[in-house]
Amino acid sequence: MHTTRRYRIFRRQLLQAALVAGAVGAVARPARAADKPERLVYVGDNGPWHKCLVEEVAPAFEKANGIKIDFTLLPIDALTARLKAELSSGEGSIDIVQWDASMAGWLARHMQDHAMLLHEAAPKHPDFDWADFLPAVQSMATYDGKLSGIPYRATTGILFYQKALLEQAGVKVPSNFADLLAAAQATTKPGAPNRYGFGIMGRQGPALLGSFTPFLRSAGGHYYDPTTGEIFVNQPAAVSALEFYGELMTKYHVINPSSLTWEFDGIIAGGQADQFAMTVTLAPYGEAMNNPKLSKTGGNWAFQVMPGKDNMQQTSTYLAGWMLGVPEKTKNTDWALEFLMMATSKEWMKRSIDLGNAPPRASVLQNPEVLAKHPWAPVEGESLKTAILDHHDPLWAAAQMPLRTGISQVLLGQRTAKQALDEVAEQWHRSFKLAGMKG
Amino acid sequence: MGPSSKTAHYAVIGTAPSAHTASAAQHARIPAPAASRLSRALDRMFVWLTVTPTALTMLLVFGLPLAFSLYLSTEGWSPDESLFGGQFAGLANYDALLTDPTFIGSLTLTLGYTAVTVLAELLLGLGVALLLNLDLPFIALFRTALIVPMMMTPIVAALCWKLLLDPDHGIVDYFIGQPIIWLGQPWLALISIGFASVWQNSPFVCILALAGLRSLPHEPLEAAAIDGANALQRFWHVTLPLLRPYLLVALLLRAIFEFRAFDNVYVMTGGGPANATLLLSVYTYQASFVQFDLSLGAAASWVMLLIALVACLGFVALIGRGSTR
Amino acid sequence: MRRRKLIGAIFAYAALLALLVLFLFPLLWILGLSFKTRMQVFASPPLFLWTPTIDNYVAVLKTGDFQHAFMNSLLISAEAVLLSISIGVPAAYTFARFHFAARGMLFMSLLVMRMLPPIAVLVPMYVLFAKIGLGHTRLSVVLAYTTFSLPLVVWIMRGFFEELPRELEESAWVDGAGRFAALRYVVLPLVRPGLVAATILTLLLAWNDFIFAAVLSTDATRTLPVLMASFSGDVGVDWGSMTASCVLVVLPVLLFSFAAQRHLVTGLSSGAVKG
Repeated sequence: MHTTRRYRIFRRQLLQAALVAGAVGAVARPARAADKPERLVYVGDNGPWHKCLVEEVAPAFEKANGIKIDFTLLPIDALTARLKAELSSGEGSIDIVQWDASMAGWLARHMQDHAMLLHEAAPKHPDFDWADFLPAVQSMATYDGKLSGIPYRATTGILFYQKALLEQAGVKVPSNFADLLAAAQATTKPGAPNRYGFGIMGRQGPALLGSFTPFLRSAGGHYYDPTTGEIFVNQPAAVSALEFYGELMTKYHVINPSSLTWEFDGIIAGGQADQFAMTVTLAPYGEAMNNPKLSKTGGNWAFQVMPGKDNMQQTSTYLAGWMLGVPEKTKNTDWALEFLMMATSKEWMKRSIDLGNAPPRASVLQNPEVLAKHPWAPVEGESLKTAILDHHDPLWAAAQMPLRTGISQVLLGQRTAKQALDEVAEQWHRSFKLAGMKG
Repeated sequence: MGPSSKTAHYAVIGTAPSAHTASAAQHARIPAPAASRLSRALDRMFVWLTVTPTALTMLLVFGLPLAFSLYLSTEGWSPDESLFGGQFAGLANYDALLTDPTFIGSLTLTLGYTAVTVLAELLLGLGVALLLNLDLPFIALFRTALIVPMMMTPIVAALCWKLLLDPDHGIVDYFIGQPIIWLGQPWLALISIGFASVWQNSPFVCILALAGLRSLPHEPLEAAAIDGANALQRFWHVTLPLLRPYLLVALLLRAIFEFRAFDNVYVMTGGGPANATLLLSVYTYQASFVQFDLSLGAAASWVMLLIALVACLGFVALIGRGSTR
Repeated sequence: MRRRKLIGAIFAYAALLALLVLFLFPLLWILGLSFKTRMQVFASPPLFLWTPTIDNYVAVLKTGDFQHAFMNSLLISAEAVLLSISIGVPAAYTFARFHFAARGMLFMSLLVMRMLPPIAVLVPMYVLFAKIGLGHTRLSVVLAYTTFSLPLVVWIMRGFFEELPRELEESAWVDGAGRFAALRYVVLPLVRPGLVAATILTLLLAWNDFIFAAVLSTDATRTLPVLMASFSGDVGVDWGSMTASCVLVVLPVLLFSFAAQRHLVTGLSSGAVKG
């Protein structure tokens, strides 16, 4: 019974698809009906920003083309395991891969050349406008010269501040580290209800680096050079950044100590519960934090690009994000690409920002309508101009672990920034050497 | 293991099967041997037929991956290469591990963590078992309630504790009256994950100990009482030695499971802060799935494996000696 | 003397109550949270009396994923139990009754496999499953769980079989029954408590595992613990949904455990392994 029903729906969808195709009249290559799959397999992580993809784009795609999208959304570690094993296994069981910028080093070789795909599909989708994706974001999707996917979500660290609190304290919106410290001291209010000047993602885990890296970048610091293996992490710029960051916690006590348990969800919850006056975190978190329905502090937040070490000219932050890509081995390249281009089209990208995404299209981020509804969006657009792409070379995965430990030690006051980063550098020397030997 | 578990069976089942009465009735239901040649052939192959499926499953689904993991630990291999496409690296992975201060730290931490949590579980479990062994009205209710933590999905139990220990909205800090960052300070975090595990697993020790207590023969205790031994002396000199096999089994099993503790750390602290809760299995997991150095992960898990093996054989020898006395 | 006994009983009850609070309060508090609205969850001071809401449960169940994952957990657990019991029990019987070459070594290696940290085989398992075309199938998860529970089943059941007097089957053999028939009709009915215990423990093992299901299954075969892992993210911590699903995940296991409590205790005490 179930199958007949599905069959009927399928037929109806085929009819609809034919109608749509006929009406639009833009199908360059006739859809090869025999090759048309019943479903496309999408494998991605389980972040809640998929709402638009899962609840709106996929049903619309199914309605138009009669192809169901099968979402497999996994925790990030499981996703990496899955992709690593499956992309190489040769089964071709994944049609759409959602991949993180940092995966590029090992993943790009399993993906199709999307520049070619986009070129081929251009006649069919004249409105797609690849140039609308910001240059930094285009490079995020590229590894070794190969465009390996289409960016769907870009995240940068920007400054969040509660405007009224800063005004009450009589401090200006910080444009350098010294201002940031002054503002954090002025807004730290001990006693109940506890509110501190600053909040970070301090749990030893993936979020820890996202919280610190904007400070490193704005102080002009770097981690290492993946091509030469040269290590900069214990150079003065990086050390001063971590020193400042650590002292906010250990010397000036302006960071909410609960921060030590926070990851991505924690920083949002902390902001919603008014636990800090300022933070530097992922731009799209402005959505949940500033939403009066979810947040005690809804409507209080304003946004600015990350302050530079000495002045605004030095502002920089990290760039990370997610791509949607078509792997080499899929049998359904055309349809997978069709879905990708639909999901990343101007219209759907614009819609997705209302549902928690951070779409990296200039036309969306600079849209006045978007600006009114999502004040963090233009700031994200602005910060993308100076943002530095996170490492995506194969060394990065192993390099993160000692770095996390080091930052955690500094936040606890167990090590000075210099000691901690010297140890990190030492471990990197060892692991880079090992990686070189393993080929 | 054999002798001690044997005593446990009789004790707990309570109703040692009255074999002979049952057998006559059972025989009536056995179908008459039809093709006796086939039956005899099956009988001849009985051992082979019954053991092979288990042995084969274990060998193929568990043994083979295990061997592959040993192979991996001597290679530089990544999953996007073909199965045997790695480069032979000899003992380089082991060398990298044993010279890595993080790994050594993790190893010592794990041994200490295992010792302390297992000791706590044994003491608490035994204490609770002594209480539950009293003949009081409604005691059965308490015995039932106690198995609740033990049955909880470990991931869920850890999630619950994480919420309870939340510095801002958690109930624990509310009762204490000040915000303590349980999962953000090295020692507190270690204590918290250990506590969550003790909370979840001491009921297991308790159930074992209780089964032991229920099955103790009355005579030695009565004899000791007549000889004028007080309660403490009776416990120390009579009850405890009789419980020995049960406690040793509990010790062995809990030690094995605490040594590989993962779920509570994964959910509650992720190994931090500053590696304070980086137990070996978390280290291994991170090596395999965060660094994605599967070879290093394989080497780490083989080190764990060898330690578990040695400890295990040691325990078995200990238990064997105890029960032959 | 009577008085002393009474005082002793009062102390015992006080200690028992304290323990009850220690062991049950965390779960009860989580249960309470699951019936609170977002505002009530974050109320300060925490609410001890409130008008309960079932919105969180509605929200969790409405996502549809929950029922799906519930069915998967159920199917995978049931299949793992069937497979482990049907191949493990005969093996256990042979281990208990017959001498054959390498018996000691085989049994020992089974036990040792149970003792090893399973994380060691996770990645190789995934890679090898993919190579033989079993990647991301329910069967692969079932097979993995079967290898975890087989040593357990063999261990428990061997103990039970050893308890039985040998004359039992021997008389059946004399009566002309084949070995399989004797096992099926004479021996198995007598070890029912053991079978129940082995079943429960295997079930728990499959129901409670997280990491293997996370890596080996897909959305279509996703189990409850994996679903649980997706309850955090970009909207802050959703305490309501999280606690409600915590309750929904442990509830079936708890009910089942209460129902089969006696056998469970038997199984655990027979030197079995949990979790």
